[in-house]
Parts: sequence; structure tokens; C-alpha cells
Amino acid sequence: MVSKKKYLIDFLISLILVIKNFFSLIFYPYKTMRKISLEKDFRQIFFIFLLVFCYFKFVYFLKDNPYPAIFTFFVFFINFFLMTGFFYFLAKILKYEIKFVSLIFTFSYSIFPTLIWFFSTSFFYLVLPPPRTTSFLGKLFSIFFITYSLSLLFWKIILFYLSLRFSTKQNFYRIIYMTLIFLLWFTPYSIFLYHFKIFRIPFI
Amino acid sequence: MKNYSLRFKRHINEVFIIKPNDLGMNFLTFWFKRTTFLLKKFPFLYLFPVASMIVLLMYFLLGKYLILLTNWLQYGF
Repeated sequence: MVSKKKYLIDFLISLILVIKNFFSLIFYPYKTMRKISLEKDFRQIFFIFLLVFCYFKFVYFLKDNPYPAIFTFFVFFINFFLMTGFFYFLAKILKYEIKFVSLIFTFSYSIFPTLIWFFSTSFFYLVLPPPRTTSFLGKLFSIFFITYSLSLLFWKIILFYLSLRFSTKQNFYRIIYMTLIFLLWFTPYSIFLYHFKIFRIPFI
Repeated sequence: MKNYSLRFKRHINEVFIIKPNDLGMNFLTFWFKRTTFLLKKFPFLYLFPVASMIVLLMYFLLGKYLILLTNWLQYGF
């Protein structure tokens, strides 16, 4: 009974920590990412992945010819571990100091801007379904939507950089080189996913 | 007292987890540190105005293609 209660409390604490970290990433991305890179509580990863799964389940009802949510989640799961595995092995080959756990935690939290964008775009799809027109309101919405998307993209780039910075402990140039090598295979891979209509925009 | 000392030590270890960035040239390092300093706390304060300026510039340069981009993005989820 005591262990069950303890387990439940631990679970709730992890959930609260995920919510706290999500908000802290908005206000203090550097400090929060540094803390996240030292995390060891895997229940937090579970909650983030659960949120991702909830998104796929939600979006399943919006699309015309969708893949089942479990399949999309599985592809996301493969994407995620391909990406973390790639950076881990690249850092190992280049003899950089790296911790796989730290990489998993930081990359999981850097999914947050992606999730916000995908959730909000689905919401806009419901409230203001495309296509947009060249009317005044159409142009106004386009300017707002692209500004909003671009801000989230910049934030995503910052979190991605910080993930690599704290996990590999390398300098700016080396992180840029690693990212360029990553893009060499990830760009054709994203086109492949786009072609099969699994992800039109890469979910990373 | 011992508790505070331990917490302080842990905090210092956390802060110095990585070496500061050095971009090779003093000028570059100086501007990199100034820019990243601004992005460490609530980056949206700077990201949103920068994004707005880029989008306005895009609107003047691309015109209706911006609407096509919005359409493509709206179907992108």
C-alpha cells in the first residue's frame, strides 16, 4: 500500500516537473535546459511522449486519409531515436564527451515548440480552415500565422542548440558542423516522409 | 550551514558544466555573447519583433506567395 502511494506521488511529482519545465523553457531556456541535461527521472519522458501520442490521436480525426495514430507515433519514435542515436554516435566517433541520457532528456523537451505549433495549427485548421484568400483579412492572418510560426521556429532552434550544447559540451562551431552533417541525411529522409504523407512538416 | 554549502557547491558545479564559447575572434565572441545574453531570458521579447520584420519584408518581396506559404503550412500538421 505504501509503495503504491509512493509510486503515485512520484508520478505526480514528475508530471508537475514536466509542466514547470515547459513554462521555464519559455522564460529561462538556457537555465532550464542546463537543469534538464542533468535529469534522470524517466517518468518525465513518458509524459512528454504521452502528450505527443495525444496529439496524434487528436489529429487523426481531423485529417481526410490519415494513418492510424499508433503508426504515426511509431514513426515519430523511430525519428526521435534515429536523431538521438545519430548525435550520440557522431559525438563518440569524434571522441566528444557525451551522455546518451542527457541527450534523450534535452531532445525530448525540445519537442515542446513543435508540439505547440502542431496543436495550434490543427486548432487554426478547425477555426479558420484553409485555403487563405488574397483579401485583407486573408493577408492579415497570413502575416500573423507566419510570424507566429517563425518565432516558434527560432525558439525551436535555440532549444535544439542548447540540447546539443549541454549534452555534448562542445563549442558553437562544432555544434554547427554536427547539425550540418545531421541535415545531410535528415533532409532527404524528411522528403521521403513528406512523399508518403506521414509528416508534411518534420515532427522533431 | 553545511546544507547551504552543499547546495552552493552543487549550483556552482551546475553553472560551470560547460566551458564558455570562444569563436576565435574577439569581435565575434563579444557579439555572440551579447546576443546570446539577450536570448537567455524570455527570448520571445526579441524573437517576435525579429520574426515580424522578416515576415513584413517577405510580404513586400513575395506578395501573394506568402498566402500560398500559409496555405501549405496550414495543411502541414
